[in-house]
Amino acid sequence: MSKVPSLTVAGLLFILLLSITGCGSSADGKTHLTFQIWDVYQRPGMQAMCDAYTAQHPDVVIDVQATSWSEYWTKLEASAESNTMPDIFWMHTNQLLYYADFGMLADVTDLYEDVEANYYETHFSEISRNNASGSDGRLYGVPKDKDNGLLVYNKEMFDAANVPYPTDDWTWEDLTDASQKIYDATGKYGFMAYNDDQLGYWCFVYQAGGHILTADRTQAGYTNPGSVKGMEFYVNMQKEDWCPDQTYFAETAPGTAFFSEAGAMYLEGNWNLPQLMENYPEMRGKWDLAKLPKCADPIEDSESLDQDGRATMSNGLCYSTAARGKNREIALDVIKYFGTEEAQRIQGENGAAIPAYIGCEETWRSAFDSYDEKLNLDVIFDQFDYAVQAVYNSASPKWKSQVLDELTSVYAGGQDLMTGLENMQRIVNTETAKKLADD
Amino acid sequence: MNNKLSAAARREEYWGWFMVAPTIIGLIVLNLWPFVQTLYASFCEHLGFGHYKFIGIQNYVNMFRNAEFWKATWNTIFFCILTVPVGIALALLVAMLLNAKVKFKGGFRTIFFLPLVCAPAAIAMVWRWIFNGEYGILNQMLGAKIQWITDPKTAVLAVAIVSVWSSIGYDAVLLLAGLQNIPKTLYEANNIDGAGKVRQFFTITLPMVSPTLFSVLIMRLMASMKVYDLIYMMADETNPALTDMQSLMYLFYRSSFVAGDRGYGSAIVIWTVGLILLVTLVQFWGQKKWVTYDI
Repeated sequence: MSKVPSLTVAGLLFILLLSITGCGSSADGKTHLTFQIWDVYQRPGMQAMCDAYTAQHPDVVIDVQATSWSEYWTKLEASAESNTMPDIFWMHTNQLLYYADFGMLADVTDLYEDVEANYYETHFSEISRNNASGSDGRLYGVPKDKDNGLLVYNKEMFDAANVPYPTDDWTWEDLTDASQKIYDATGKYGFMAYNDDQLGYWCFVYQAGGHILTADRTQAGYTNPGSVKGMEFYVNMQKEDWCPDQTYFAETAPGTAFFSEAGAMYLEGNWNLPQLMENYPEMRGKWDLAKLPKCADPIEDSESLDQDGRATMSNGLCYSTAARGKNREIALDVIKYFGTEEAQRIQGENGAAIPAYIGCEETWRSAFDSYDEKLNLDVIFDQFDYAVQAVYNSASPKWKSQVLDELTSVYAGGQDLMTGLENMQRIVNTETAKKLADD
Repeated sequence: MNNKLSAAARREEYWGWFMVAPTIIGLIVLNLWPFVQTLYASFCEHLGFGHYKFIGIQNYVNMFRNAEFWKATWNTIFFCILTVPVGIALALLVAMLLNAKVKFKGGFRTIFFLPLVCAPAAIAMVWRWIFNGEYGILNQMLGAKIQWITDPKTAVLAVAIVSVWSSIGYDAVLLLAGLQNIPKTLYEANNIDGAGKVRQFFTITLPMVSPTLFSVLIMRLMASMKVYDLIYMMADETNPALTDMQSLMYLFYRSSFVAGDRGYGSAIVIWTVGLILLVTLVQFWGQKKWVTYDI
């Protein structure tokens, strides 16, 4: 009788052991890699690249998994802690330093040594390389793509208000004038300036000659005169009749408002354009793209970029793998392939994103081949000439949400702009100093 | 003690342990150990990727000095005040109606229970559209232009309405079970004595259903104090009313997972656990005054 429990326990343990060890090896003898991304729209492009790789390496199987942006980082951090990171994953500039400085990412600086000396310098822009670099200057990802923000406008509303379409020389005043005229003539909103950094006030701050962080990324610049000028212009637009306020935007994203024909203009990232064309068939041909308007009288100082009042933000992702991954060597070989001209071309031709590889950028145009209605895509490629690298430093994850809270409070009327900017200045400087002291 | 047991009794004891082992192991691994870790983390600074540095009570000091934290504590209490009494009163009303002799009783029971079957995320999305200030059906019906979710004055109310709506069905089913256990003879005797419906409710129904009501009250209060998912789904990060509606658990989420400050987040959790413990103790003490366990 008493033998029964121990036998049962032994049996259960045996089954448990089987199920644990069973995960390790695969039945088909191939190496299975997981590739984690956060944008479901880019999945076909990523899959095409993986297919091209596995065609040459039949012993490797790559499983592309897409999750949502917010879930992505929670999962990735948890998996990094338990050393069970996906074999290949996208890295974002906001997070790269956090992961790289903690030794979570494999160093890929010498990945192409056998191919070509100075491979990265030759084939990728400085912004792309910076986006993939850790604090020690080493590369922790292979540059994937680059992007920028542009002005999207509704041609019909401009026609209805008898306002000429935005030109390359548009200034802030042209933007507000057009907004007012469209509002007066049609009752629709003009430029929809919402609470966003990369597709919002960052652009205007740099246009006005200000900066969010100094070039060495150690000090904030929110209270710099140029920054204040940009912020005042951007935030105060919500006080105009032709711009919805933040209570509106909290429920209705500017893109939603634009494509339901409630407003005439907003800032959009180029990465969203293919899905906007696809999702709003009835709007095709009614809208187009323009460069961001420029600041006519920027306040220049030593930190200013001296770009004649022009700026847009540019960001870029990279492909990374874990420093201590189980399939590290094969994963490194895969991301090495992802950084080649061939793979970057496949990415562009599938319309996933503008390839970071210099010379392949224009392949991304093919994302729009299937539509008869054409967008003025030239402005995106032209804007790279004066695009500013998206703002971040190693303390970004700590200060980003706090800065957002301050600005939200400004929009809600909880504090005036200057107090908010001073708080943002203090928050970023404190968190940055703390992070630098820890390192 | 064990030595005095016979062999058979000892075998029985082993079997007992074996039978409860899955539950106990589960509790230790999934509840007790994480709680100990959270308690420890609340005295630490999170350096990243699970590395902690002991900093004593600094997190608690920062927390008690933070106006946002006190606001979130008040929001949580206010949310409980809004949802628990109304929610339970409505659930009791629904349960009594479902217990009465009405046609299509089964159909009504299903309808009231439906919100529980729906995914909370889907519920929140639908309600977001109902509450939408520009296009929402609620404003259309009222002929008003209230920014339900983004106006600090109405934001908590909007979340409370959704919370009550989605919990009524479950509470009503529990209360219905309690109501059906009340012997019919009590009501018959009461009728003969000539008591009215209102008197009947207070002298028979309420005392008889009070044990169930007590369980429902405890569960509902705990759930309300831990509210997080509804706020997460209904409010965007840029919502100007966010600080006026965020609960303690939402603040914990933002501290731990958005800002990556898990030590501080853990301190908020410990504070919330303390609050729930206090409220539950008060309830167990208070139940002696109104819960009837014997007839």
